[in-house]
This record gives sequence, C-alpha cells and structure tokens, in this order.
Amino acid sequence: MATTSFTAPKLSSPTFQTLCRNLPLSLPIPKTLSSFSFHLSPFLSRFHLHHHHPTPRFHPRRLFAVRAESENGAEPLRHYDFDLFTIGAGSGGVRASRFAANFGASVAVCELPFSTISSETTGGVGGTCVLRGCVPKKLMVYASKYSHEFDESNGFGWKYDTEPKHDWSTLMANKNAELQRLTGIYKNILNKAGVTLIEGRGKVVDPHTVDVDGKLYTARHILISVGGRPFIPDIPGSEYAIDSDAALDLPSKPEKVATVGGGYIALEFAGIFNGLTSEVHVFIRQKKVLRGFDEEIRDFVGEQMALRGIQFHTEESPQAIVKSADGSLSLKTNKGTIEGFSHIMFATGRRPNTKNLGLESVGVKINKNGAIEVDEYSRTTVPSIWAVGDVTDRINLTPVALMEGAALAKTLFQNEPTKPDYRAVPSAVFSQPPIGQVGLTEEQAIKEYGDIDVYTANFRPLKATLSGLPDRVFMKLIVCAKTNKVIGLHMCGEDSAEIAQGFAVAVKAGLTKADFDATVGIHPTSAEEFVTMRTPTRKIRQSSESQGNMGHEAKTAAGV
Amino acid sequence: MARKMLVDEEMNQTNQEEAHYDFDLFVIGAGSGGVRAARFSANYGAKVGICELPFHPISSEVIGGVGGTCVIRGCVPKKILVYGAAFGSELEDARNYGWELNEKLDFNWKKLLHKKTDEIIRLNGIYKRLLSNAGVKLFEGEGKIVGPNEVEVTQLDGTKLSYSAKHILIATGSRAHRPPIPGQELGITSDEALSLEDLPKHAVVLGGGYIAVEFASIWRGLGANVDLFFRKELPLRGFDDEMRAVVARNLERRGINLHPQTNLTELIKTDNGIKVTTDHGEELIADVVLFATGRLPNSKRLNLEAVGVELDNTGAVKVDEYSRTRIPSVWAVGDVTNRMNLTPVALMEGTCFAKTVFGKEPSKPDYSHVPCAVFSIPPLSVVGLSEEQAIEQANGDVLVFTSTFNPMKNTVSGRQEKTVMKLVVDAETDKVLGASMCGPDAPEIMQGIAVALKCGATKAQFDSTVGIHPSAAEEFVTMRSVSRRITCRGKPKTNL
Repeated sequence: MATTSFTAPKLSSPTFQTLCRNLPLSLPIPKTLSSFSFHLSPFLSRFHLHHHHPTPRFHPRRLFAVRAESENGAEPLRHYDFDLFTIGAGSGGVRASRFAANFGASVAVCELPFSTISSETTGGVGGTCVLRGCVPKKLMVYASKYSHEFDESNGFGWKYDTEPKHDWSTLMANKNAELQRLTGIYKNILNKAGVTLIEGRGKVVDPHTVDVDGKLYTARHILISVGGRPFIPDIPGSEYAIDSDAALDLPSKPEKVATVGGGYIALEFAGIFNGLTSEVHVFIRQKKVLRGFDEEIRDFVGEQMALRGIQFHTEESPQAIVKSADGSLSLKTNKGTIEGFSHIMFATGRRPNTKNLGLESVGVKINKNGAIEVDEYSRTTVPSIWAVGDVTDRINLTPVALMEGAALAKTLFQNEPTKPDYRAVPSAVFSQPPIGQVGLTEEQAIKEYGDIDVYTANFRPLKATLSGLPDRVFMKLIVCAKTNKVIGLHMCGEDSAEIAQGFAVAVKAGLTKADFDATVGIHPTSAEEFVTMRTPTRKIRQSSESQGNMGHEAKTAAGV
Repeated sequence: MARKMLVDEEMNQTNQEEAHYDFDLFVIGAGSGGVRAARFSANYGAKVGICELPFHPISSEVIGGVGGTCVIRGCVPKKILVYGAAFGSELEDARNYGWELNEKLDFNWKKLLHKKTDEIIRLNGIYKRLLSNAGVKLFEGEGKIVGPNEVEVTQLDGTKLSYSAKHILIATGSRAHRPPIPGQELGITSDEALSLEDLPKHAVVLGGGYIAVEFASIWRGLGANVDLFFRKELPLRGFDDEMRAVVARNLERRGINLHPQTNLTELIKTDNGIKVTTDHGEELIADVVLFATGRLPNSKRLNLEAVGVELDNTGAVKVDEYSRTRIPSVWAVGDVTNRMNLTPVALMEGTCFAKTVFGKEPSKPDYSHVPCAVFSIPPLSVVGLSEEQAIEQANGDVLVFTSTFNPMKNTVSGRQEKTVMKLVVDAETDKVLGASMCGPDAPEIMQGIAVALKCGATKAQFDSTVGIHPSAAEEFVTMRSVSRRITCRGKPKTNL
C-alpha cells in the first residue's frame, strides 16, 4: 500500500480517528459524541448508532450488514488510503475536496505541475479558471479597457501630452505574479482543509485505485475533475496557430491578430487585443457572433465591438495557415486569403481532458465529445467514480463547477444527496462592452412558454453623452405572459456582469415583472432601467392561427 | 333602469365640474415628481398645466428650470463630475497594467464644466419635450396658490396669470441651506459647487451627509486638497455603522482630511483665501468652503398656509399616505414633503398620485426597501435595514454576513482598498433584511439585489443563485459563513 500522510478529520477523540482511518466510512463532524450518523451510501442507507458512552464503540456486524446491502458487490471492510481521491485541482476539484474534508473525509487531490500553458503533463493547482481562464482573462480585460477609458476621459477634461503607450512585459510580469500568488493561495486552502496534495499525473487503475506517476493510492471514491483544454481543428498549418492558453501569455504584443471563432472566448480576446492596440480580425462561421445567446444581444454586441475597431469576417471558415518567409502568417478561408498576421488564435471550442486517464478500461462511459457521462448526482457509470466540472461538459462555468463540487461533497459525506440545480444560471461575457444574462433567450422562451412579453431598452448611457463615444447599452426582459414571471434577463453594456448578479437572485427566486416594477430605482444608474420598463416592446402570442406570422413579426421587430 | 340613470347623473355631474375649471390638474414645480405626476395624469386623460421658474444652474426663489434639482443641480451633474473625478485614480491604476502615462496628467476643469452644462441644457430640453408630447401645458414663472382651486403664475415680465384647477400639486422641491455662522456668505452650497469657475485648490466641506461626501470625493479625485468637517464620529449618519466606517477609511486613504466631531464657527475673507475657524480652535485657509448641511423644502412663497395647507416646523408640506395635504384639492410630492428625498421616490410618489387622482386606483407609495447610493469614490449602496435598524426591529436573532475582499483589479494595480459587502438576515425567517456594499460599481450591483429584497428573498435563495465569475457582485451569493449572530436580548418573545 502506498504511503501517504494521513490527514485526520477534525475530531477530538483518538478512538474515533482510528475508526475513521481503518474503515471505509465517512463521518460528519459530530457536535457531540453521543450520536453519529454513519453514512455509507448516499442513496440507500442511513442509520444511527446510539451510544451510552461518550466514546463511540464500533459495531462491526451491524455495519457489515448494511454495507452488504448497500454496495453492489464491493468488498466490504476494505481499507482505503482515502475516502476521496480527486484527480485535478481546478475549481470543481478543489471545492469538492475541501468541502469533503470539512465534512470529515480523508481526501487527497493530485494535480500536474504549474505552467501557464496546459498540456498532458502540465497544469497547476487552481486549474483553468485561475491560471488560464477567468482570472488572467479578466486581468487582461482590465488592462485593455484602459484605451477606451483614455478616450472617454478626454470628454471629461483629461488630456495626455503624449498618447499613453502600453508596455506588454509589465503587464505579463504583473499578471504572472498574481497567478503565482493565487496558485499558492489555492495550495494553502487545500492544506488548511487537511487535503493531501500530490503533484503528478493521476490515472484510474481500477474503481478504487489511482496511479500517480507510478505510485498507487486507494480510495473509496474517486473524483475526476480534470477540466477541458482548447481544441484547434486539424487544418494545414494549424501548428502555427495559438490557443487561449498561449494568448494569455504571449511574450510580446501581437501586432495583427486573427481570432477564429464566434464564441465568448473569441470575443473576449478580440476585445483584449483591440484594447491593447493590436489590429484585430475575427473570423466566424456563422452570420453572427455568440451562437446560443439572445439574437438581439448577438446583433448588439457585434455592432458595438465593430464600432471599437474590430473587423468581423462573417461566414468565413479557415482552411489553412501559411507561414511566409518574413515570419508573418496568412489565413486562407473559403472566401480568400488575408495576409500579414503576427498571430492567429483559434477559439474554436474546448474538449474534455479525458485522454489517458484509464477511464474507459475501468468502465467509465465517455460520450463522443470525450465528456464523461454522469447522472444528476455527478456519478459515472462506475459507482465509486464521480466527475464534476468541464470534464463532464454540462455548463462549463467556474461557479457551476463549484456548485457541482459542493453538491458532490454533500452527497458523499454529509448524508445529503444533492443535485446541482442548473436553472437560471447567470453568466457573463467579458467582451467590450460586456454581456450579463440569466434565464432564457427570447427564442428559448417562445419555444418553452409560447406567449411572452418582451421589454427592451437601448440607450446612450450618461457617461457616453459626455465622452462623445458611440457607446450604448441594451437591456432586455422576457416575461411569461401567463404567470408574469421574469424568465429571461439580458444586458450588453458597461457593468453588465456586475448588474446581472443581483437580478439573477430575483429571476432564480421566480419573481414577477410586477415585483420588478415595485422596486424603486437607484438613480442615476444603468441598472435602474431594469425596474423602470413600463411598456412591452412586443407581445408574442402563439395563437393557433397566427403562430407563424407572430414569429415572423417578432424577428422583424427584433432587428429594429 | 334606475342604475342606468344614476350613472348618467354621475357623468353629468363630472362634466359639469370639469367645465368649472381651467385644468384638471395644475402642478407647481417641474422637477422629477412634478413632471412625472403631470405626464402620467395627462396620459390618464386629465387636462394638465405646470409652471416652473426660469432655467439656471444656480437656484433661488426665482430661478429653477424644468428638470428640477435632479437634472440641473443634483443627480445628473453630480454623477458627471464623479465620472470625471474617478478618472484620476483610474489612470493611476493603469500604470501597473503596463500603461505609460505622463507623470503629471493634465485635467481641464473648464472643459468638464462646459460639457456638463451642455448636457443639463440638453436634458432640460428633453424634459420640456416630454411634457409637451404628453399634452401638458407649461408656463414659465413663479406659481402660487390663491385658493384651494386657484393658482397664480407670475411671468418673467411681471404679468400675472390666474387659473382654476380641480387639483393642485405642489412639487417645488427643496434648496440647500447655509448654517448661520459669521461669514456664511463666503461659503457656497452644492448649487454653486456644481458650477464653479475654477477647480478649488483647497476645499473645505462642512457636513457629514451624502452630498458632503460626494463633493469631497469629486474635488479630491481632481487633485484638490480637501478637509471634511462633520458633527458625528463618522460621516453618513443613518447608514449602517460598519459601512460608515468603511467609507470614512476610504476617504481618508484617498487623501481627504477628516475632522470628525468638528464644526465651523466663522469664515473670514483674507488675501490668501477664506480663513476657516473651527470649534476646536483650528484655523485653515481655503479657496472654497462648501456647506452641505442639509436642504429645506421650497414652501415659503407659495402662500400655502393662507389657504390652509399645513407645514411642519422644517417647512415641509404635511401630507397623508396618498400625498394629500389638509386641503382635499391640494396635494404634494417630492422633496417639498421631506419624506424620502430621492428622485426615484419622487417619481414613485408622482406616479401614485396620478393613479390615485386620475387612474381610479388609489395608490400609496411604498417606502419599504428603497435602495439608494452614495456616489463617493468608491461608492456606497444600500437597500433595506442597516445592522443597527435590524437589531432594533428584530424579534429574534439577527445574522450578519460580511465579506471584505481585495477587488481583482487591485491585485495588479496595487491599490490598497478593500470592497466590503454585508447581508443582514433574520435568523428565524431567513429573510434578508438588509444589504450594503462599498466598492466599485456598488450602485449598479445593488439594483438587482433590491428587487430580491423587496420581494422578501431569503438567504437560502441568495445561496441557491449561481455566481457570475469573476465579478464583485458574486460575493453576495457566496457568503457561506455567518460573521456574527446578534442575540436580541431585552426583547423577550411572547406567544400572546
């Protein structure tokens, strides 16, 4: 058996700790030692041992009996090194591990060594969000937003004797220092929670065994939370393309960039590079950016980004990249060739990191995209193996992975089977201007509810009236005509991400348009517009006769 | 049959009555509340007249302007100056993000002021258009009540117009007042502060309310030295104590000199500027002294008491829950009633008035969970109860959740300023009683939270909401552990 340091749950009784270590049990931290609930299988059994003694005694036979009926033929009374072994210390893995440890489980987590660029052999504690996603991206957004702010400030009386210049290396150094600090904090969090951190590549050997670079660890439960990685399609010259990992850590400013893709990552990077004064071209397969988002938002954000100088190439798919003698890159598409790029970035999707994890050989089912199939409790087809976060390709957002991780810890170690709730999950796109949204798009709402009222506002914010810039704000509420409930809320414009959060609480709580109207505004803000929308822009009714017509009208009106 | 006749009679009566009056409604004062009430009443079919004093940024007994305080001398110009001032620190923060800027940044006050004035003139025009589009007849001049159904408008050239109206609405707002200290004429109020010729080099601000704090932030942000004097230990009386302390710390860190528990006793004009003496015997020289010591209702020259409308000792028009004065045909909304002096509240009162009087739907303004914001730099925003109020009103225990964190932007900029958020929860019902935040974007963030609180959202509902990452606002839905539990002793629960 592999030797690992055992981390005791926070319990006062030594007897109890022994019990924990030697038995495949997980225990909630008892408030008093007079009563325990031993949790064996989250869905089947739950029983209480009542003691007259202040010190618990072990009742092997009873435990055996329950175990025998609760486990599908797993060996009873087997000793495991850990209650939970987590592969991957990103958002979901760290959350599940910490919470499991807080509930009294002994937990280990393994993670690849730190690097800003991920690969089969590099990763880092903190995962995509902290090292190659949300955090560095947002820092780059902050940095790049300044060029817009300089322009705005002119309208407010500020002047620059010389145009502000950007020094790329300062930004990279400060950004990387922050990432180092954060990965340290994450390690600390794990350490404080009593989670054993193992550096190396984890691989599942059998339903209860993980191999980390040749060392074997046994665990009652295994959690796969290895996330996803950018995917670049295989076209000639694709080796010259960069992905978002590399784009977040370029050694020097890209002079002329192509971003390929119309999703949120492509738009965010287009904004970043544009703000940092690169020439930016965006190539999208479709007519519009951000497939899946509300149609009006898609139109609006595209227009606003174009006004800030980003060049969009719609319905243009890349076919090949050619490197010329001077080192510059040309992108050949179905419509022609554009030359002179210093960088071509592909933001063409991400794929789950499920290769070489030994999953299929132990019976964990993987879908055709490489995502692990799980049930509502994040359990895979192997009962002792679970998966959360991007590797399951459900909703690939950090807060969702956190929710899944927290739910799993509750399910496994707190006697409280918990399903993550995917209703009304808000999200943001940190494009410039940003988008915030929660609930359904207009198109989804029509499909699901038929009769809806749509309220929109498209206005020039106070700041833009002074700055003279063409910035606008678009806001939209979608209301179910029958119940008056607000079922969708969308915004594109400054502060959208921050504004959407509070409204997400309201939408999640099932509040009505009348509730919004009853709320007094905060003046002068952009957000107050959401509580002062008095007249519907359009009412969509699916009356059996005019269904088609109404749908058409809605589309036309949406373009106005 | 009988019923039909009755209805006809009623209608006839109404017609007769309408024939008696020049207007169904005459509004005195075209600020937020007055314009809203006038427009909505007109939309309900009423014939509406409104009068307002001529436009100028600085108000007086004879100067005002369509749009009122909010548009001309309050929210809007203030927010514009706050935007301008916030760039000061924003630009400093740019350096660690790699931007190379000149050591000394050039700021042109006159340009900002000019553009601000252009904008409020534009808005003044928009408001006038809103009224005319709604079919409201606008008169320029000073309005006065002559009788319960009679108003008189003195026009600029001195000619007087007299109109009868079925209902009269007083919406004349309020004006800043100066403390009665020697040399007070050397000081200015917020009206002038929004239109100063030159940016002060050294400003003294007297007052601890939101106006004082906002101007201190504006001038400091634009590079002035600022001394802020207030009577209490902390500024912003009435707000959550913990948040008051946060605001005070932020102001101080940004270089504003705070003088708590200090009053000004005298201003004297000297060659170097205004010599300011405090009740602690300190003396300092300033080029601008701002009195932000409160506002008083504009009720003096309206002839209200003569027709029987009651005023309180501050001069505020006394009204019932429907905004009706003691005279049944005279109503009042907005700051002149000194209920909750906020633009959106005046709008609410104006809307309710129109519904009640012309919409056949008696409506009381609802003053619970009115959110508000202080546009200090960084801003404060709150909704619901402060911790102190919650404890005061609680029947059971109160749970307080706080989060103090370094905003992500500061991790690279190096700015040392924490954002603080707070939820106050009723332990028994789990209802969130109050929310506050001090930090960037607080007012924008609080609006949605206000919807949730207004409708009685529970802490569990906050917790079940997924965060938006990375944002500051997500902190409001991820406050897992309680910071403190306050047992409300001395208030034994009874089952009676």
